[in-house]
Amino acid sequence: MQQREEKQLEAAVESLTSRVAHVKNSLQSFIYKLENEYERLTWPSVLDNFALLSGQLNTINKLLKNDKTPSFRNQVVIPLLLNPDRDEDLAKLTEQRVPVFSHEIVPDHLRTKPDPDVEEQEKHLSTEAVRIGPDAAQKQIQTLNKLCSSLLEKLNNPREDRESENAALRQNKPSFNPADTTALVAAVAFGKNLSKCRPPGPVAPGHPGQGPMMTGGPTLQQVTIGGASGHQGAIGGQGAQQTGQPGKMPSNIKTNIKSASASMHPYNR
Amino acid sequence: MEAPPVTVMPVTGGAINMMEYLLQGSVLDQALDSLLHRLRGLCDNIEPDTFADHELVYLLKGQQGQPFLLRARRSLAHPAAPWHLRYLGQPEVGDKSRHALVRNCVDVAASHSLPDFLNEMGFRMDHEFVAKGHVFRKGAMKVVVSKLSRVLVPGNTDNTEQLSLSSLVELSVLAPAGQDTMSEDMRSFAEQLKPLVHLEKIDPKKHT
Amino acid sequence: MGFTCVCQVPVAEGKSVQQTVDMLHKKLEQLGAIKHGSFWVDCETYHATGNTSGQPTKLLYVMHNSETPLSCMALFEGGPALTADVNFDVLMLKLKSHFQNAKGHKVESRGTRYRYCDFLVKVGAVTMSSSARGISVEVEYCACVVPGDCWNLMKEFLQSFLGANVPELPSVFATKPEGLYAPSDCIDTMTQYLELFSKVRKQQVIPGGGSVR
Repeated sequence: MQQREEKQLEAAVESLTSRVAHVKNSLQSFIYKLENEYERLTWPSVLDNFALLSGQLNTINKLLKNDKTPSFRNQVVIPLLLNPDRDEDLAKLTEQRVPVFSHEIVPDHLRTKPDPDVEEQEKHLSTEAVRIGPDAAQKQIQTLNKLCSSLLEKLNNPREDRESENAALRQNKPSFNPADTTALVAAVAFGKNLSKCRPPGPVAPGHPGQGPMMTGGPTLQQVTIGGASGHQGAIGGQGAQQTGQPGKMPSNIKTNIKSASASMHPYNR
Repeated sequence: MEAPPVTVMPVTGGAINMMEYLLQGSVLDQALDSLLHRLRGLCDNIEPDTFADHELVYLLKGQQGQPFLLRARRSLAHPAAPWHLRYLGQPEVGDKSRHALVRNCVDVAASHSLPDFLNEMGFRMDHEFVAKGHVFRKGAMKVVVSKLSRVLVPGNTDNTEQLSLSSLVELSVLAPAGQDTMSEDMRSFAEQLKPLVHLEKIDPKKHT
Repeated sequence: MGFTCVCQVPVAEGKSVQQTVDMLHKKLEQLGAIKHGSFWVDCETYHATGNTSGQPTKLLYVMHNSETPLSCMALFEGGPALTADVNFDVLMLKLKSHFQNAKGHKVESRGTRYRYCDFLVKVGAVTMSSSARGISVEVEYCACVVPGDCWNLMKEFLQSFLGANVPELPSVFATKPEGLYAPSDCIDTMTQYLELFSKVRKQQVIPGGGSVR
């Protein structure tokens, strides 16, 4: 029974040592990079190093919390022999950090209490806590809580605002309306829904033989409406071919352009 | 001394066969600021221009066929600036490989006598509107965000009424014929304005 | 641009257009005028095709001037005039189904530019379909834009090399003798050229005029 526990402890210590060695190596190489390669070091690779370290620390934490790991807290280390002389083996084990196992350093390395400095501070704080009454303490706690909650609120709110705004843009309130696009395009192209300022009389005012409007040739809207009805007619059948206008138009224009460019040549010659 | 040969014609000719590549869309008033903000970020780093223009659309009717259409624009903000006369050809929308509407385009700067002159040529005003908005540039590309208003009393640009609750958004490039790579650039730019605005190749004939 | 006067100079008896032009050049050089490059002014005629109303068609003239090489002036005789950029020529091509270019009617004046103190003198041979039809003289007094103030000075200067052929005050200015000459465009100058070209167009080929070549 005892043997098994001992074996377990040994294994745990071993794995812990190796994990710590890993952390140590990572830290070393990271520090080396920071000191020597800082010019080439990119931020993403710095983040990678941090991620590696935090991963390794996490595994150590897991290892310590593992059920199979015996509680190190229950183990007692007793210094059996103190020696003021240099111990080469110890120096090698500790990478020259602890060359002697003497009276001077043992209390420091094997201590189970915080640093004396920290102990001093703690003592100071506890006397302070005792000095102020429970009422005053309660008040201070409340103030601190209040401050914290208001700060949290401030930090959270802008994000909420921003998110709600974005959400509104994305879902609730569209930023454009296809029907408006259509209407505006038709307005600039044909003057649809724009006031007609043409006098409704004949093209040449006062000239006999000219009927009103219709005989004056098609107005722009009339022509394009004709095109539109053709377009709708196409759904029902061959309406488009009959009204025909929009289909013919481009070819008309094309010949225009062609002959126009042809007639440029005499100018250049 | 010998006189110069008369056959050398002095006609400089101007820019022949320029094409306008066009994508259109619209933006609702409540999202206008977001769009302008985005355009300010995406476009060339020059002070964005605002404009207020009065456009008069003129028709000339021949004996047969389509009436000939010209657009005359004047700046309301800069009354002394020349008028802008524009001819636009029939749009070519059929070609699926092109991402933009393409049409022939002639831009002419003209003196203030333009309306009288067009009248004398036989042109008659068909309709008019007021466009106010912002112009942005990104290289050769031009983005115009304009609010359209109808003119209630003919000729009186002070008395107008907004046409809709949206602004027209137009992305255009002027280039000599055959430079279809333009439409690629335009498409990728339009892509960056989504989902705020969808700029598309719109055949106006389908929307009369 | 100062006050400008354009007039037609008759061809000297028994001389060709070119010989008369040479004589004018000689006179100017004797005065002390200095050659200062060349110039041209041209005029194309368009007539409306789709005239359904039966009214007499008004002719549309599109003119260019080497002084303003990026501009294009469009005029109706006695009607409104337009100053535009050269893209207007392209537009006229687009409009060809409505306005036809009367090719044979193209008139132009080409010649030498002379500078004499504040005066700019352009003596041009007016040609139509490659045949010389007459002589144009344009004088600009660059120092003044008010016709009424400098017409007498102009007249005196014209006399010095045209002799008896001095014209009357051009009609474009007769209507606004004291008014400011619009200096920003050259419509007034082009109107004068247009009048001159119309006269030249109507007149018969001058006997002995011959070709400029």
